[in-house]
Amino acid sequence: MSQATLKARGITGPLAFFKNFLPRFALRLLGLALVDALAIWLLYFLIRDGVWPLAIVLVIVTLIANVINLTDRLYPLRWMSPAFVIIILLVLYPILFTVYTAFTNYSDGHLLTKIQTIRRIGQDQFLPEGGETVQWTGYRSESGEIVLWLTGEKGQTYLAHPNEPLQEAVSGEDGIGPLDESGVPTSIEGYVRMEVRDILPILDSVLAPLEFGEPPLTYKIKSIKEAAQLQPRYVYDEAVDAMVDQIDGTVYYADEKQGFFTSEEGKSLNPGYQVVVGLANFERLLNSPALRGPFIQVFIWTIVFAFFSVLTTFALGLFMALVLDDPILPARKLIRTFLILPYAIPGVIGILIWRGMLNQHLGVLTTNMVNLFGWAPGWFTDSLWSKVGILLVNLWLGYPYMMLICSGALQAIPRDIYEAADVDGASTWQRFWGITLPLLLVSVGPLLIASFTFNFNNFTVIYAYNEGRPPIPGTPTPAGYTDILISYTYRLAFESGRGAEHSYAAAITIVIFLVVATITLFQYRFMGRWEEISESV
Amino acid sequence: MKRRLIWTMLTLGVLATLVLSACAQATPEPTAVPTAPPTKAPTAVPTKVPTEAPPPTEVPLVQVVVWADELRSPVMNELGVTFATDYGVELVVQEMGFGDIRDQLAIAGPAGEGPDIIIGAHDWLGQLVANGLVAPIDLGAKEGEFLEAALTAFIYEGQLYGMPYATENVAFFCNPDIVETAPATWDEVTALAEQLEADSGGEVTAWTIQTNDPYHYFPVMTSFGGYVFGLTEAGYDPTDVGLDSEGSIAAATWLEGMVADGHLEPGVDYDVMHSLFEQGSVACIGTGPWALSRIRDSGVSYTINRYPDGGAGSGSPFLGVQGFMISAFSENQLLAQTVLTEIFATEEFMQAMYDADPRPAAFLPVRYAIEDPDLASFAFAGADGLPMPAIPEMSSVWTAWGNAVEFVITGQLSAEEAFTNAAEQVRTLISE
Repeated sequence: MSQATLKARGITGPLAFFKNFLPRFALRLLGLALVDALAIWLLYFLIRDGVWPLAIVLVIVTLIANVINLTDRLYPLRWMSPAFVIIILLVLYPILFTVYTAFTNYSDGHLLTKIQTIRRIGQDQFLPEGGETVQWTGYRSESGEIVLWLTGEKGQTYLAHPNEPLQEAVSGEDGIGPLDESGVPTSIEGYVRMEVRDILPILDSVLAPLEFGEPPLTYKIKSIKEAAQLQPRYVYDEAVDAMVDQIDGTVYYADEKQGFFTSEEGKSLNPGYQVVVGLANFERLLNSPALRGPFIQVFIWTIVFAFFSVLTTFALGLFMALVLDDPILPARKLIRTFLILPYAIPGVIGILIWRGMLNQHLGVLTTNMVNLFGWAPGWFTDSLWSKVGILLVNLWLGYPYMMLICSGALQAIPRDIYEAADVDGASTWQRFWGITLPLLLVSVGPLLIASFTFNFNNFTVIYAYNEGRPPIPGTPTPAGYTDILISYTYRLAFESGRGAEHSYAAAITIVIFLVVATITLFQYRFMGRWEEISESV
Repeated sequence: MKRRLIWTMLTLGVLATLVLSACAQATPEPTAVPTAPPTKAPTAVPTKVPTEAPPPTEVPLVQVVVWADELRSPVMNELGVTFATDYGVELVVQEMGFGDIRDQLAIAGPAGEGPDIIIGAHDWLGQLVANGLVAPIDLGAKEGEFLEAALTAFIYEGQLYGMPYATENVAFFCNPDIVETAPATWDEVTALAEQLEADSGGEVTAWTIQTNDPYHYFPVMTSFGGYVFGLTEAGYDPTDVGLDSEGSIAAATWLEGMVADGHLEPGVDYDVMHSLFEQGSVACIGTGPWALSRIRDSGVSYTINRYPDGGAGSGSPFLGVQGFMISAFSENQLLAQTVLTEIFATEEFMQAMYDADPRPAAFLPVRYAIEDPDLASFAFAGADGLPMPAIPEMSSVWTAWGNAVEFVITGQLSAEEAFTNAAEQVRTLISE
């Protein structure tokens, strides 16, 4: 830190330096050291697991944080650096990763990397023809050497040292002690017999890697009681990039387009692995039967749903805000608190309560309607009423937000305009349509567009309320009357084909983003007109 | 300026390393931290054992990490205490939601931070195997002590992947105050509905089912000879979709008749179905062991029966099997398998698991000793149960199938239209 900057901050003299600057600088260094320690710790795991993209992003982010906090010129950015770090890690990286995923085949059956897949398939074992399974008992010497007593299928017994041929053995020779009732020596000279308590802790780490007998048909321990001449079922041949089946010699070549090891007859090994597939996911979406049939219907409902969600919540919120703005109203604060409650309660709980109240057989609302009028709408079975129902629920969830922003925006409208209107003799309606609404829209407009975008993709409310039901009869793929684009395509990605298809979902997300972005762009053009009004006021 | 920056950053690096090493020493037991790879511990063992050969009592404990849900984890924790002294195995039970176990395994397993053993349902197998997340297991001689149907459910593509511990299936509950003996055929259900309609003026109905629920509808379908996927020796065949088979249509036609005669109403969900039964407004419903405590608490009288016959025998419910599986990424696979066969597959352990969460056990000595007559009835009702298909294609079926049931119950489509269309939807989705 240069003397100039210190002076600029009003710190002078050696005493002040020690008093003010040093502790702060030390504190900052300590803070940075902690951040760096965390980063290094995370890096260790990321690099170990081969998660390179995230590791690189983490390094960049940490470097940025360090440079900003140690360079005087970047002083103004210092307090922004946590935000930078968080934005890059939690917003930018996931977006880039989603885009990347859309061009891969990352899905059920293709979760692993190729290396992991080769390792996994390599674990499969088989007992070759003529191979034998034997019972084993383990003994250990002072120095930790292991020897096994093997009992074969026909009762023959062997002593087995690691990596040495088996020797037939009987009690009384080579220091082998007397046999117990199960035919196993109670002692072997120089060795102590291992009990379960001694075996388990070293079973995988020490015993499993040992091989006994002559290669290639060596005995390996396969359970706490048995050892067998197991052989790896598939062996990876690097030269031809293929897994070779050791039983029948079938060659499974790596298919880099599909992400599978596939034989010439078209048989594939499980699991597959991740590969980059280019535009395949987008092509699949274009050719999907789901884009014919109910798609248009779903798309129109999505826009209707988003539009009416915004319109109804804004109308009610504005109305409430206007009423609460009037000082004549008693207990305004209390009422306002109550009205904000739906916003404070977690949305999912509110949705569940509404589901209960509208329930056709038990719901408070429905049963009372039946008692009063002898009729109640089929909130969950009728195509029209289910749409009305979900708009009502969304209205309940959304109006407090609109009320809050309208209350704030109303304060910002200059009072003298109203006074001028009064002088001109404007009615209440004229004041509302001519002054309040246009001026309000200037400031609230962008928020309305944001709200539209949010509701366009409001998966939570649709799925928690009725999962897009009731279903539309006779469609080529399942679709519901209240399905919006995102819930409809969610089903396409996660409830079709062979399970969860993350890459397909990512491709769909990108397409939906493009759709929403286009709509939003048009809306901003439209909002431009309101700007002109504000300028002419 | 620049040089100082570099120097400071270097110093920081050193500082950071110091902090790190301090942290590392402060936590000698990474066991409690779930993010620390539990499989690391045993790798330190081999270098130590041969050189020092400590007496058996000082052999370090080896950890086995188990993921279990909130119902099972307390009892496993309790039993695990004795494992350390008896077997030298430290059982580390990490609790998580049942459904989360499957999703988290896909993330933590390949990252090397997953468990050795998980509790799971057999119908996860298709996904788990396709993703290479679970390893085949060998129960050896213990295999004979398990219910065969439960073992079969854990076989996927000819390999055994799990050790079952409990089965569950739906059964046919009837209220003996309304109907003395439970109907044995679906025609008797229709007759009962007509009689109750005449007696009670529509207040009490014979049977109800959730409007969009294929799982509880399956036994109705099978009793008429319907099926979802054709069953061959190699397992379920995804190319043989049976939703539009003769039997499936016959079952739907019977359902359509019930609706047409006004004996079945739409808009019923799980709570409605149970409330109606508990109020005595419906004579029979189909439900599973998970609803037992709620039905008992309501005080309604009930009997648990096999599903009625529709012409192809009494209805077979889906058999769900829960059990233990071994992560393919475990570095202690032999140990994990030994824990299953030698410690878990014992009467003491299985009985404790049953007591903690009563459902028909898959371990025969415990299953035969079930004293609760209700659970015995469930086991009886599920004797012909068909394992829920574990093939990944099953995910394409649920929505289309449930919608078909709903269309028939709401009368929007005829039985034949609804189920023919559903079968077409499933075929489209599978080929997608």
